[in-house]
Amino acid sequence: MVLAIDIKQITKIFDNKVKALDGVELEVNAADVFALLGPNGSGKTTLMRILTTQFRPTSGNAYNFGIDLIRNDAEVRKMIGYVPQETSVWADITGFENLLIYSKIYGVPSGSRKKIISDALQSMGLEEPANDLVRKYSGGMVRRLEIACALMVKPKILFLDEPTLGLDPSARKAVWENLTIFKKEYGTTIFFNTHYMDEADHYSDKIAIIMKGKIVKCGTANDLKQSLRSEALQFGLNCNALDKTALTKIRALDFVRDVLFHDSELMVVIENERADTALPKVMEVLMMRGIQIERIAMARPTLDDVFLKYAGPITKIPECCHQIRGCGRQIRMCGHNDVKKN
Amino acid sequence: MTLNNSLREMSAMIELETRRLRHDRTEIYTRAVQPVMWLAVYGTVMSHVRDIPTNGIPYIDYITPGVLLQSTIFVSVFYGLTIVWERDTGILKRLLVAPASRYATLIGRAVASGVRGVVQALIIFPVAILLGVKFIPNPLYTIAAFLMLFMVAGGFAALSMFVASFMKTRERFMGIVQAMIMPLFFASNALYPINIMPPFLQSIAFINPLTYAVDAMRSLMISGNVASIPADFVAIFIFDILIFTLASISFRKIIE
Repeated sequence: MVLAIDIKQITKIFDNKVKALDGVELEVNAADVFALLGPNGSGKTTLMRILTTQFRPTSGNAYNFGIDLIRNDAEVRKMIGYVPQETSVWADITGFENLLIYSKIYGVPSGSRKKIISDALQSMGLEEPANDLVRKYSGGMVRRLEIACALMVKPKILFLDEPTLGLDPSARKAVWENLTIFKKEYGTTIFFNTHYMDEADHYSDKIAIIMKGKIVKCGTANDLKQSLRSEALQFGLNCNALDKTALTKIRALDFVRDVLFHDSELMVVIENERADTALPKVMEVLMMRGIQIERIAMARPTLDDVFLKYAGPITKIPECCHQIRGCGRQIRMCGHNDVKKN
Repeated sequence: MTLNNSLREMSAMIELETRRLRHDRTEIYTRAVQPVMWLAVYGTVMSHVRDIPTNGIPYIDYITPGVLLQSTIFVSVFYGLTIVWERDTGILKRLLVAPASRYATLIGRAVASGVRGVVQALIIFPVAILLGVKFIPNPLYTIAAFLMLFMVAGGFAALSMFVASFMKTRERFMGIVQAMIMPLFFASNALYPINIMPPFLQSIAFINPLTYAVDAMRSLMISGNVASIPADFVAIFIFDILIFTLASISFRKIIE
């Protein structure tokens, strides 16, 4: 199968000194929604601008559906759609006119222009304000118009640079719902940069994290979360003291990394195993010792945790979890991320 | 195919500009105020001086072609500001990712600015007639004069975009363009003949495209002395080709 995007050792150095990208390797399957996460200045936008042929990499190569985007950039431009981070529609003409100008630039034949434009307006829910000046649009409407401009020509790959930056939650949801419907219909590959973890989590098939110009992690949201190995089980027990044997037995389970007990709360940190499959085994030990369980909670890492681990500031898994008191929020912190507190 | 694409892109850019104008005509009217003042105030006052050798042409008539050109060229010279603004927003990035040549984008914008210039001049033209300026009543001459105006306005818009590709911020761009404007207008034959200038200014006027444009328009609209017309058109044609090429080459720089 031909990859939608195939990046081989791309490096970009600005002005002979700033290394924005440092040997990026990435593969994106056709018809996937691919999210690229990274902190500010990590090289996300630079990579996207190279992939959209705005400038060339210093070294390395990349292919969109097998077409070399350095040697054959004109061909690549015919099959991609792109929405930059900043506003990219003319505010002093109407939404319809923006689409009209773009349809002409893209050479949509005049016979099908009207239909294509009205389809694009409809798919982004913009029929009503189509004849208003874009200046009067809200942020979410502007974004949807921009995406409509990009979708209108049915690109094989759609590049979105922080597509929902600065939008309120309902506008974000509207943008993604429209995108999802479009993608289902046309099988478009979508490649987007974002800061919103929940967006990457919900809408993407695969995620890569970029840090200082390098891809530090790549996989599905689940892969990434599991890679943290910091799932935990939390039990509320009916006793204030726990016999040593029970603790030792739980510790002896091969997937348990740590066990904490404090104030009738038992916390079991797990590695190399999913919390839901580990649960029965821990429960078995507790029940064998006749300990009554009042409630159970599972704590799984979120994509935020993944991001902080791979792209955040210094994150170390503290050895002394015992000092941390209490509840579920802290279970996550105990996984990594809390050097300061100690 | 490529030529077709380029033409398509250019016509889309012209359409964009005319649509913008349609939505906001105020700009065209307000920009017409200053040139009308030049004619009505400066022209009227200076016509009493009678020291400027105009070959017997009334002074207001003499400066009308220059004022028409000035009003359009000043619009063109600031056209680069649109590009700087579009660079700050994402519009330029997006245009450069579209399947059209970058030359076509630039030339399309320059031509669009030429169209805007012609519309601008068409607003001032009747006002000049009302002020008593006697144009040669030959439609062919008038059309040729407006063609000259269009060509030179497009050329200066390309020059402006060329400057914009180096001066990527509004402040720097405005600074350099402001500095360009005065010598452009005053070191030309727009307000007085070249031969009354000091030699230094004369040599600037000689390489100033505006001089040739004014000469052509004055001949076609006022004096009827068309002997130098071909040379003027050739000069502006060369200027256009040169500046379109330079601006196209440097256009890439603006997004980097």
